[in-house]
Amino acid sequence: MLILTRKSGEGLFIGDDIRITVLEIRGKQIRLGIEAPGSVVVLREEIYRRIQEENLQAAEARDIDVSEVAQLWRQE
Amino acid sequence: MASNSQIISPDPAVFSLKTRNFGSIEVRADQIIYLEPGLLGFSQYHRYVLIEHQRETPFLWLQCLDKADLAFVVIDPRCLLSDYQPASLAQASRDLEVENPADLKILAILTIPPGKPQEMTANLMGPVVINLKTRQGRQLIVEDSQYSHKHRVLPG
Repeated sequence: MLILTRKSGEGLFIGDDIRITVLEIRGKQIRLGIEAPGSVVVLREEIYRRIQEENLQAAEARDIDVSEVAQLWRQE
Repeated sequence: MASNSQIISPDPAVFSLKTRNFGSIEVRADQIIYLEPGLLGFSQYHRYVLIEHQRETPFLWLQCLDKADLAFVVIDPRCLLSDYQPASLAQASRDLEVENPADLKILAILTIPPGKPQEMTANLMGPVVINLKTRQGRQLIVEDSQYSHKHRVLPG
């Protein structure tokens, strides 16, 4: 892992078009400003992991279960 | 490799794909949906097609064309919550350049625990939004505490 030290107001670039700026350091919290193209997904880590994990589980769906799901739906 | 099962047919507008769930399917170029960026965890795959599961049910398959064994079961979240309207939907609609609201397709991905379909859940935090006119779409991340990534679909 690359480790850099930055002060409040300083920033860094990732490639040509992603810029991260340290906006404010207050106690244990740091406010970051992120400028990135719309095609880049920027998410808090816990949100990213939650959605990714859900997608991975969803990809396991089997046709046989979906047929049963459809049947259960009709009964509701 | 699964991707080798993709065969380009003589007609360049159509190709067939051997899928895990439906056998061989034929796809026309104008049916292909492009997810950019791709789904989280599957960001390298961009081309999908929507397939009806059975008539008279709201379930669809979102079948990946770049990986034949990758498919998701999806449903219009408004079949589950008629007032589903996350705040970030308006911005997503602008980003996808949706001109007519009817062109915006919203799909919630379902997670069906193997062998326990009764326990299926819908991911209302990560709906797939698609502009049906341009067939461009993306997974929208909804950070709105009223919508769960594990919304129970059927009563327990």
